[in-house]
Amino acid sequence: MLTGLLLAAGSAGRGLIDLDLTSLPLVGEMLAEHPTIAWPLLMLAIGCGVVIGYITVFSLLAVYAERKISAFMQSRLGPMEVGPYGLLQTAADGLKLLAKEDIIPRDADKLLYIIGPIFVFTGVWLSFVVLPYGPDLIVADLNVGLLFLAAVASIEVVGVLMAGWASNNKWALFGTMRMITQLVSYEIPIGLSFVAVVAISGSLSMQEITLDQQGWFWNWYLFRNPFLFVGFFLYFIASLAETKRAPFDLPEAESELVAGFHTEYTGMRFSLFFLAEYAAMYVVSATAAVLFLGGWCTGFAFIDSWMMESAGFQRVLANVVGLTSITIKAWFLVAVMMWLRWTLPRIRLDQVMYVCLKVLLPFSFGVLVFSTLWELVTDGTLFGDWWPLFQFLISIGGFGLLMMNFMAKERPYDIEADFRPLRHSEVHAAPDAGARG
Amino acid sequence: MGYFGDIYDVSKSILTGMGVTLKYFVNPKTITTVQYKRPERRGEGELHEVPHLPDMHKGIHYLETEECIMCWQCANICPVDCIVIEGTRDGEVEGAYQGNRANLTRFTIDYSLCIYCNLCCEACPETSTCIHMGKEFDFTSYDQGSLVKNLLTDEKFTKEDLRFTTNAQSKIEELAEEKKRKAAEAQAARKAAAAAKKAAAAKKAASTPDTPAKKD
Repeated sequence: MLTGLLLAAGSAGRGLIDLDLTSLPLVGEMLAEHPTIAWPLLMLAIGCGVVIGYITVFSLLAVYAERKISAFMQSRLGPMEVGPYGLLQTAADGLKLLAKEDIIPRDADKLLYIIGPIFVFTGVWLSFVVLPYGPDLIVADLNVGLLFLAAVASIEVVGVLMAGWASNNKWALFGTMRMITQLVSYEIPIGLSFVAVVAISGSLSMQEITLDQQGWFWNWYLFRNPFLFVGFFLYFIASLAETKRAPFDLPEAESELVAGFHTEYTGMRFSLFFLAEYAAMYVVSATAAVLFLGGWCTGFAFIDSWMMESAGFQRVLANVVGLTSITIKAWFLVAVMMWLRWTLPRIRLDQVMYVCLKVLLPFSFGVLVFSTLWELVTDGTLFGDWWPLFQFLISIGGFGLLMMNFMAKERPYDIEADFRPLRHSEVHAAPDAGARG
Repeated sequence: MGYFGDIYDVSKSILTGMGVTLKYFVNPKTITTVQYKRPERRGEGELHEVPHLPDMHKGIHYLETEECIMCWQCANICPVDCIVIEGTRDGEVEGAYQGNRANLTRFTIDYSLCIYCNLCCEACPETSTCIHMGKEFDFTSYDQGSLVKNLLTDEKFTKEDLRFTTNAQSKIEELAEEKKRKAAEAQAARKAAAAAKKAAAAKKAASTPDTPAKKD
């Protein structure tokens, strides 16, 4: 239904389908009297509704998927009681959150406490403005789309700082401190991955980046050159930290900090944080899909060319195909995020900082420099038209070699050499043997 | 282990871990949880069955009514006092459960108290082992009061059961009094008999010396 609404709005706005909004009774009059104000307002209202609905539905499904995935990985069944196979569990949880009492702590800074979650949610919500879903399905194709995305993602930091500080709670403050450290640090590798992509596409517009990856799937930026292949993984790891997913979920470490910066929040305000977290997961996954996996392009040259050439009703169909394509890619990445969360334990704060500043940062710089150099040298057509395919094979081949290396059997233990009891002289020759007693 | 060696090891161990979780995720045979089938979703008389329940499982008790001798060993040893036994060994109460030795009107266990310690079964005398812990565990309710189980009928302890036991109480007391009276009578009779015997003996003893005097 939401998809249909989005499609209808997008198509009608561009005059693709025969839906005359001016013929509607009340809206039509307004549109006729104040066209300059009413049209943008109408589009804004529809866009807001669609995005909020999309976020809500996505969160409901994602929470259900997460609980089921975690259950299956831990030999459990997951939610089974509410609805068939527990399908209505998350809806019931949402209703419970809505009905809960809204508590503002007595010693909290009331103003900041109230607007904190709104800031966090708004930041994520604005990111949906520049995400393309199809040839015509984009709320606003800004020419600085990627910059806009990076900018609005930073609003979350301000909101979290407000919420954590205003709660007047030690756990909340510690969670906030960790979170700010993490978010600010991990914006650098994310920004560098963006720059590496922009250096190749030559545009910051999300729609143009997508269009540059049309054709067969080896045209995707993921396989554009071996360095961008690495860049994708760097971006993915950094985006895990940016959305505070495990193993980087220190800001919400339950065993240490109760719930981190939203410890004091209940009911609707808490659910705003919750929605923002899951929506952020979708945003970073969809961004990864646009930047590296071809966005709404399907990866098949004949379908992509049909999508761009079609008109009228076929154009609507093409938009549906594009929407499906990017949704599948984003959902796949979200699923990998969940998979990682239920595999890896939480790491320490100094390890989080190590990963960012000592590993991701130099590697991102390397990716930026070397992928630009590669483009400069090969110029995109070193061996004629089939060069993208060669590049694809280089990336995949390198990845395959690494995998084979991982799979290779380790040297079996040599009982004599590895587990030999220490001789008396060896024990007493150790420098701190005396200190240990 | 250098810088790049660490990165290599981390990537390798992450992928290995992901492989393990994926193996569990895609294989439904690894799921060990058994979904509880609520009573309202079951068919008539259908039980919730659990595979691989061990023989030593300590579940809801069951009672061999005819074996019970009403010795109160289980009720006495119970650390939470959840066992209530009423009945009589003095006679027969109408509607009660006739065992080999005793006539039971009530044998209930309050499962809101029971800690499944198995002490009652251990205390049960070997000559008449009657109380056991079974494999059944499915004894749920929406209120605390209805967690009392009547082991005589193997169902929940109902209000009618309570009425019956309350009514039977007077009968039990009557029987007890009757037995007491009978015992007292019997004792009195015995006493009287003994006294009579004694008196007779005394009379005999008293009359014996007279005999030679008579002779004389």
